[in-house]
Amino acid sequence: MSVERFTDSRALTLGVELELQIVSTHDYDLTPAAADLLRLVARQKLPGAVVPEITDSMIELSTGICENHADVLAQLGEIRDALVGAADKLGVALSGGGTHPFQDWSQRRIFDKPRFQQISELYGYLSKQFTIFGQHVHIGCPSADEALVLLHGISRFIPHLIALSASSPFVQATDTAFDSARLNSVFAFPLSGRAPFVLTWNDFGVYFDKMTRTGVVKSMKDFYWDIRPKPEFGTIEVRVLDTPLTIEKAAAMAAFIQCLARWLRVEKPYQPAEDDYLPYTFNRFQACRFGLDGVFVDPQTGEHRSLRDDITATLAALEEHAIELRAEGALRFIRNELAGHGNDANWIRAAQDRERLLPEVVRQQTQRWAGRS
Amino acid sequence: MDDLAGFLQIATWPPEPGVAFWAALALVGGALLGELVRRAFGMPRIVGYSAVGLVLGLAGFGAGMLQGNARLIVDLALALLLFELGSRVNLRWLRANPALLLTGAVEALASFAAIYGALRVIGQPVNVALTCATLGTSASGAVVARVAGELKAAGQVTERVIVLTSLSTLFAVLAHKLVIGWLHLDVAGDWVRAVSLPLWAFGGSVLVAALLAALVAWIARRLDLRDENAALLLLGLVVLALMAAKLLNLSTLLVPLLAGVLLRNTRERPWVWPRHFGTAGGVLVLMMFVIVGSAGSVDAVLAGGAAALVLLVVRAAAKTTAVFVLAPWSGIHWRQALGLSLALTPLSGTALVLLSDLQGTHPAFAPLVAPVILSAIVFTEVLGPLAVQWGLRLAGEQHPEPSTEARRVETVVA
Repeated sequence: MSVERFTDSRALTLGVELELQIVSTHDYDLTPAAADLLRLVARQKLPGAVVPEITDSMIELSTGICENHADVLAQLGEIRDALVGAADKLGVALSGGGTHPFQDWSQRRIFDKPRFQQISELYGYLSKQFTIFGQHVHIGCPSADEALVLLHGISRFIPHLIALSASSPFVQATDTAFDSARLNSVFAFPLSGRAPFVLTWNDFGVYFDKMTRTGVVKSMKDFYWDIRPKPEFGTIEVRVLDTPLTIEKAAAMAAFIQCLARWLRVEKPYQPAEDDYLPYTFNRFQACRFGLDGVFVDPQTGEHRSLRDDITATLAALEEHAIELRAEGALRFIRNELAGHGNDANWIRAAQDRERLLPEVVRQQTQRWAGRS
Repeated sequence: MDDLAGFLQIATWPPEPGVAFWAALALVGGALLGELVRRAFGMPRIVGYSAVGLVLGLAGFGAGMLQGNARLIVDLALALLLFELGSRVNLRWLRANPALLLTGAVEALASFAAIYGALRVIGQPVNVALTCATLGTSASGAVVARVAGELKAAGQVTERVIVLTSLSTLFAVLAHKLVIGWLHLDVAGDWVRAVSLPLWAFGGSVLVAALLAALVAWIARRLDLRDENAALLLLGLVVLALMAAKLLNLSTLLVPLLAGVLLRNTRERPWVWPRHFGTAGGVLVLMMFVIVGSAGSVDAVLAGGAAALVLLVVRAAAKTTAVFVLAPWSGIHWRQALGLSLALTPLSGTALVLLSDLQGTHPAFAPLVAPVILSAIVFTEVLGPLAVQWGLRLAGEQHPEPSTEARRVETVVA
């Protein structure tokens, strides 16, 4: 089987997918209610889609094709309100965050759908450890080749995106010391990591054929890369973000990536090269472990600086593109967070320091997700 | 033989084992049988506990009406279970989903009306039908809490059966107090008592419950309730409140239930503590199921069995109808509605405690009601937990799924 045709789409359109936690309003542990939520929201007309995820205490929502930041925020708001309404009716609550801070993965049930059951069979405990929650952002690309160039351009900013979005400091009731522990679970999968350095769809097709011949992969879905092309949508899909605690943050992150894409596309500040990937896993580890305080090794100059500084510099470079894309609000949101509590992982740790009770932290997360605090 | 006993300084021969001896024996028997039904048939352990009681009762060694130590154990165990149950009733949920609240009200009223009507039709006197209707309205909080906990069930049916059981228990206790008041009026023409007793039972219980809730909340801010010692402290507080309720002639059912509800709804912070407050509570719960199981006797079944069957059938029909009619509006699938209806069928500890209270206030009248209620308890004691399990399984809320469990056991054996 060869790689599918890349559907062309309008440049810089965007779409957002969010995986959410469904928690009990009694003890704030994960609770199985995905099927009930889906049944209740199926009665409503929503802009995007709401679909099941691998365990029945997760749910995934996605927007339709959006033009800009305001569009994303409006669609996310509409879907969020519908889901929160359904959750209220079921006596459960929804929460952002890349991991549930104290759930016991052995207690999770796999959602009753053949693909999920197969994954569960294959990966064993890994699939339940995969009870993690991410935000995926799609950026539209007018051609497959442009998509691959953009993919390798954005790769330089993967650590930035991880550090900004990190919201998974706790796993199984333990402080992992990581800001994004979620990504450690992703890295355990055989085909995670970075995409191969190819810049044309033909070369990518050659790579894909070789991989399918080994029998290791059957479709694009088997690649768990940090960024991967999504030929059927005509997009590249950024997959490293933890689900944030609010839809405002989710929309801001999506718009930030849209600005990055425009900057890379219009100004071409970097020429993609295989050597850009030399410090890639080092940078990514620093971002997961230390968040905004991580060290960033500049792939071009080899210079070391903090991620926070490089993010600030990047925000300045994006200024004019934000104006063009009407994303000033999004960048302002990110700047305010940087100056304030930092990322969501910092917020979660601060809440736990204050409350000393993880269920109470999750309760406050559900309030933030619902837009009630 | 007596000489040998004397030589060994055994005080009485043949030995006369006391309450503690039989209680220990019941504990051993219950725990063993509970484990057996769990392993061999995948049933909830309380089926085993209740079966031990049932055999004792039908063999003529039963506790019958609750008195003395038996009453104390049932009160304690039920207090723990009702407190846990109450602490899971989220009034905000009832506000967000009025159909659920309505299900609770309709389900209780329909059960009451159906039992009263049916018993009148088969020729029971007004007062007997009325009393049976109040006692029969409540679903079994004990069985529900215990089976759901043991199966680690989670989901809509589990949450809803907890809420509906709490509501029906509340309804049954209030109705019961009114009926006791009515009996004072009807039998003795005592107006003052008819009005003041229910008022005192209700108002006083609310006060004690509020006090208990406030104390628990105060402690929870300072200690981690998942800690063994803090759990014991919590257990002590619940027992203390229960004793206060007994001393003041308040409802031993209402105080823990309302305290749980108040705790849950007056403070935002979530509450987490070990199930049944750890091992100490677990022992009480096991003994309660043995005692309640032993309440029935062959005589009772012969006298009231037929009426009890009628009661159970119309009660189940009423509850099922109420749940199904309101299911679409309240947001559950018909499969879940069926599971919920099944889980509401058991009748046990709560009804027995109410019956014993009646025995205390109206010793002449209670024996007319007792055979019906005791027979209904005999019929549902073993089948009830199975119905709850079946219901939860039907709704896909039992965890882990028995198939996986069975497969795991097979692999280990192979």
